[in-house]
Amino acid sequence: MTIIEQAKNVLTIEAQSILGLTERVGPEFAEAVETILGAKGRVILTGMGKSGLVARKISATLNSTGTSSLFLHPAEAIHGDLGMVTSDDVVVAISNSGHTSEINRILPMLKDIGAKVILFTGGLDSPMAEASHIVIDVGVEREACPLGLAPTASTTAALAMGDALAVVLLNHRRFNKEDFKRFHPGGSLGERLSLRVKEVMLTDEHVPTVRSGSRVDRAIEEINAKGIGATLITGSDGTLEGIISDGDLRRALSSKDNIHHLKVDEIMTRSPKTIDENDTSAEALGLMELNAITHLVVVDETRRVKGIVHLHDLLGREGFIPNAGSNRATRAHS
Amino acid sequence: MQAVTGPRGLIVEPITPYTKVGAIDGPGLKRLLGRVSSHAQGIFLASPRAGEGRNLDTAQRVELLELAVQILAQNPIPIMIWVTRDTEEESRRTTIALKKAAERRRYPGDLFWVDTPLLYHSNRGLPGLYRALGSVAGRPYILHNDPTLITGLSRPLKRNNIRTAVLKELAGLDEITGLIFYGSLERAHNYHRACRRRPKFRIYDGEESSFLDHPSTSGVVSVGSVLAPGPWAKIIESSLGLSANKKEYPDHLQQIWEAGTYLRSMRDIYSGAGVPVLKEILREMGLIESSYHTLGPVDTGKALERLKELMMRFGDYGRV
Repeated sequence: MTIIEQAKNVLTIEAQSILGLTERVGPEFAEAVETILGAKGRVILTGMGKSGLVARKISATLNSTGTSSLFLHPAEAIHGDLGMVTSDDVVVAISNSGHTSEINRILPMLKDIGAKVILFTGGLDSPMAEASHIVIDVGVEREACPLGLAPTASTTAALAMGDALAVVLLNHRRFNKEDFKRFHPGGSLGERLSLRVKEVMLTDEHVPTVRSGSRVDRAIEEINAKGIGATLITGSDGTLEGIISDGDLRRALSSKDNIHHLKVDEIMTRSPKTIDENDTSAEALGLMELNAITHLVVVDETRRVKGIVHLHDLLGREGFIPNAGSNRATRAHS
Repeated sequence: MQAVTGPRGLIVEPITPYTKVGAIDGPGLKRLLGRVSSHAQGIFLASPRAGEGRNLDTAQRVELLELAVQILAQNPIPIMIWVTRDTEEESRRTTIALKKAAERRRYPGDLFWVDTPLLYHSNRGLPGLYRALGSVAGRPYILHNDPTLITGLSRPLKRNNIRTAVLKELAGLDEITGLIFYGSLERAHNYHRACRRRPKFRIYDGEESSFLDHPSTSGVVSVGSVLAPGPWAKIIESSLGLSANKKEYPDHLQQIWEAGTYLRSMRDIYSGAGVPVLKEILREMGLIESSYHTLGPVDTGKALERLKELMMRFGDYGRV
């Protein structure tokens, strides 16, 4: 048999293992979904070996689709990790044979705690199946690996059933695009960090600015109006002289009786950190992390202010749409 | 008839031992079954391949069953026996005779009738046949789909496999509990698909090599397990996860790999020479009285020596 034929055989066996589930998924699956939807706690996945890896993946999928989930290693469970399980939780155990001794050992304890146990197994007559509240058949017709050296089709089937569970739960929770974004802030982060600073900075009237010599009252008004927690202090020619952040205001309030009559020049941070508009967002983020700050002022070679960039602009705000220049920034802060 | 579930795992397909004059060798059968029964989840007697079932008449099959029932009564495991004869009527009579023998002996384990329907019946009307047989058989059937047997008929049928659509209907009958399958992986997929509505319907690999390559989760019908029951049991245990026994870490996978390589090599040798070489080596080991068989002359010389050498290396060869 050629390499390609062998590969096709394996893929066919794996595909059949999933197709086989479509005809066996039944009321117990619906019961599992309703149990999870009705639970106040989390969904705790557990499994040993390859099934443990599948359990981890299902747990991750549940988390990213709106169902709070944890992975519990069965061997660690009896050494204390069982403490993470409460009576409000639902445990999903994965064991192809239904004979995994490490899980068998913790099943009575899980039931004592009061957690519901859902089992994914091909061993419908196994001791684990008997000890579980809900049994979901993920049995396969054959394994793809010679001698059954490694579980192949059976782990594929369990994984697919886990995906089915996550997606059905997602649908029933009315999980939407905004929820997904909230759980996947890292999804487009890479794209954002490759942008130039000029593409993410605030510009023109969106940059909070007060003139040097103004009273602090004016700075507070500007901070409130522009809503990024700071205002720049500029000279009459637009060059940068300093910055007043929320932090500067708090520090001034704690050390002075009345700050309202003070000039901005008295409480501002001189020489704020700056960046060039052609630097990347990643560089801007690095500077912020290095200096433990949330704003960078964008200046030209003569220190004239061109814009300001906030940490949120780098990590992404709700409704942030990469575009160009101030238009995108305008949307981000409108 | 109430649906009965077939066993999962290693179904040993023993040779039929004969005395030097061609009678059933009872003591030989006892020694053979004693060698394999603790490793097996089932025994398939009088099979058309290794069991020379095509040359066994009803009386001989009844004798085999009665002997096996006696031998295995203390630690009963499921027994399957081939009931097929040349015609529908003969097959039916054989089944009834075996049923009576089973009733007389009151075997505490499960009994299954294995039938190759295409040897005497076309695909058309098979479900009706088994519905009718159900009332007289008293025990569930396991179908036997072996196209090479059908191809060898003097009166060839249009089809040498049970049609998938027919199997789908058959799998819905309580009278039928499984299928022993020989053939391509593609057909195996189709058959599995046809039987999915009945999750506990067993589809056993009839070809040992199919099981070693891509193990079916129902199990395998194995003739080689007569020679090497331990390694076969180890492979089955590992592939099907039949019990909670701790795997022998850290070299468990290596053990399985070596056992698999051994069984493949063994199979390569005996698949050419067939039953005669198996009988010859079992005779040399003192398990059966003679290597008498009903299959005509076969040269077992080189195969015998190679097989013996291989079994010695793995500790499976030795006189009892």
